[in-house]
Amino acid sequence: MIRRTIQRRRFMREHRWTHAHLSDYLDSELDERRRERVENHVTLCPECHRVLATLRRTMAGLRSIGADRGGETVAAGVIDRLRREG
Amino acid sequence: MHPSSAEQDLIERARAGDRDAFEELVRRHADRLYAVVIRFVADDDEAQEVTQEAFLRAWRGIGRFQGRSQFFTWLYRIGINEAKRRAAKRPPAELLTSLDDEPIPEAPDWSEAPQVRLEQGALRDVLERAIRSLPVPYRATIILRDVEGLSTREAAEVMDLTETAFKSRLHRARLAVRRSLDEHFLEEQQL
Repeated sequence: MIRRTIQRRRFMREHRWTHAHLSDYLDSELDERRRERVENHVTLCPECHRVLATLRRTMAGLRSIGADRGGETVAAGVIDRLRREG
Repeated sequence: MHPSSAEQDLIERARAGDRDAFEELVRRHADRLYAVVIRFVADDDEAQEVTQEAFLRAWRGIGRFQGRSQFFTWLYRIGINEAKRRAAKRPPAELLTSLDDEPIPEAPDWSEAPQVRLEQGALRDVLERAIRSLPVPYRATIILRDVEGLSTREAAEVMDLTETAFKSRLHRARLAVRRSLDEHFLEEQQL
């Protein structure tokens, strides 16, 4: 009973830590020891596994939606205003 | 992203009052600045106006630009501050959007779904709406880092935050956008 409680607490501590470091993990901003800590927990925790996988897809989606550029008209509009008011 | 020597030369000339050099800097950076500010303002007209205002301020203040930061991070900071100033004038409803970033336990795992093409159609709209619904300081982190592809250091510099503070804000913003996709796929599953 006591052992189970300790294991549960340890799991939840790792769960909170991992959840807070998923972005750092995906940005490759963790050292090796911390990367392993994330990976170890993710293999045991279905929720963190799902959040990590979907966060990875979310970031890939964000990278792909670069806004429409304004094209020539933006620079032309700025230059026109600079000449009038600058 | 280091400025080329040609750009460095343009900056020096602009600092000395050479308007042609500054106009060349406008041609190089106006599109990217517009692409950032359009996500903070109401429409194309306002985005054009904010972009113009930012360059006008940059031109008037370029003598104070010491080169400690890169030119485009300095410019982004001016543009985002102007966009934020305008966003703050809008009705409060838009500003009070909560930042809900907790995963939805019953949501399906959509990471491997073959139909997931986040860059297209309805899903792109979900992403765009999710970004727009973020509170402005969180929205800025995700636009600079993920959409525009600045490094953590560059994006933190634009926002005048430490890298640690920036990363914490970015993580919450990403989780909130991810949760919006959870909601989308959960709804789709329940149809």
